[in-house]
Amino acid sequence: MQILKKTNQKAYFIAKGLGAEKILLILKAKGLLGRGGANFPVWQKWQMVLNEPGDEKYIVCNADEGEPGTFKDKFILKNNAELVIEGLLIGAEIIKAKKAFIYLRGEYEYLIPKINKAIKLVKNKTKSKTEIEIIVGQGAYICGEETAIMHSIEGKRGQPTQKPPYPNEKGLFGKPTILNNVGTLAEVPLAIYYKDYNPNLRLHCLSGNVTKPGVYELPLGTKLKDLMKLGQPKNKIKAVYFGCFGGCMRYNPEMKISPEDICGKDCILGACTVIAVDENQSIVDVATNIAKFYEFESCGKCTPCREGTMRILALMENISLGNATRKDLKTLKELAEVIKETSFCGLGQSATNHILTALKYFKKEFEAKCK
Amino acid sequence: MDVYLINELRKIQKKEGYISEKAIRELNKKTGIPLSVLYGVATFYAKLNTQKQGKYVIEICNSPSCYVNGSLNLIKYLTKRLGIKSGDTSKNKKFSLHICSCIGCCDEAPAMLINGKPYTKLTKEKLESIFKKLK
Repeated sequence: MQILKKTNQKAYFIAKGLGAEKILLILKAKGLLGRGGANFPVWQKWQMVLNEPGDEKYIVCNADEGEPGTFKDKFILKNNAELVIEGLLIGAEIIKAKKAFIYLRGEYEYLIPKINKAIKLVKNKTKSKTEIEIIVGQGAYICGEETAIMHSIEGKRGQPTQKPPYPNEKGLFGKPTILNNVGTLAEVPLAIYYKDYNPNLRLHCLSGNVTKPGVYELPLGTKLKDLMKLGQPKNKIKAVYFGCFGGCMRYNPEMKISPEDICGKDCILGACTVIAVDENQSIVDVATNIAKFYEFESCGKCTPCREGTMRILALMENISLGNATRKDLKTLKELAEVIKETSFCGLGQSATNHILTALKYFKKEFEAKCK
Repeated sequence: MDVYLINELRKIQKKEGYISEKAIRELNKKTGIPLSVLYGVATFYAKLNTQKQGKYVIEICNSPSCYVNGSLNLIKYLTKRLGIKSGDTSKNKKFSLHICSCIGCCDEAPAMLINGKPYTKLTKEKLESIFKKLK
């Protein structure tokens, strides 16, 4: 696996020797895109922060991997944390940040000793003066959102705020801030150091009804059947979910796992998360389960998401118990659309994708449950 | 050294098991952060508890990857075994149970955390052998 290769901090010294502008050109030429799910070019994000005036800037590593079915960051931190720290320090060196943060989700607190060991080692080798602080999240899905994570580090409730300004202008403590995913930062040293670096490899997190779940490093655009072959499902796969926010679709073996191929079907690919659901599962029950997740995780800031996710859950429980009518299905769809259109942040806007796509691809299962 | 509130609250919880009113008042005196803000933050995050917790805090995942691998049966079993619902603490103060969102152990589902340590590929039998070791 490319992600398990070592650079032994050599990329840091290359970056220090070449300087910011040249390194950004290298990252651009190597085609490094963000691994958090938005595929934003890394050089561009870094350039924007570099261009901002002022001496006080920050870099934050987003290790708040909360999307259900996603565990690639855990895999990287467990197996190659040094790479993440090196990437973080390279970013800090480029924008001259005196302080860097790792926002680690509380559910991964057992990784802290490993991360601390990597910090000590990489800092010793590089002699970087950037201070690294680990902030331990306390169980809030919303803190994966870029403004919410900043507020959480600042000691506030982790709720999102209006954008713009984006973190690159006004991020942590109102200062220009780079926010990168664990996976992105791990790729930075690899992209700088290895001449044969392949930017198209993605860590696919496969879980659900498969006998061999796990992290698989495959090129973007791999066919679903090839991923599923690795997962070795026991029964026939009926549906695939791209995390919770990405929605679901009917399992199509020939479907390519790429943003273009999947977004055209009303789903969002995000960070290449695939949850396989086999024919023994009821999509209505899975939808009820996911509705519970969103009802629990809504941060409460805006009405559509706070009240809407609660209503969606009530409707789904009714449908699941066989107490609903066809009219309720219409209400469900309308409500899901309203939440999607009017929620404040991206998380609220995607909280009902799973309902809309399930209604599109598995409508018969819903209808069969209705009076 | 800078103080980060969320880390401070975590430290208090690690030491005392939960975030008591007394602890919040002390933190208010130490940092000058208003009580309302401190309480607002402490109650926002699912992993921070303002109620006394048991010796063993169990967080069992019920997100899709665990769900399609039978987490609901385990939750029902745990609820019955411990005699408590999600969010409650047993009378002998030994166990607290929380049904939680994804803990990132989807590749070893179904899974749970006990005092932050992951236990994976759970079955009823495995749960029993884990409980036998918890004194």
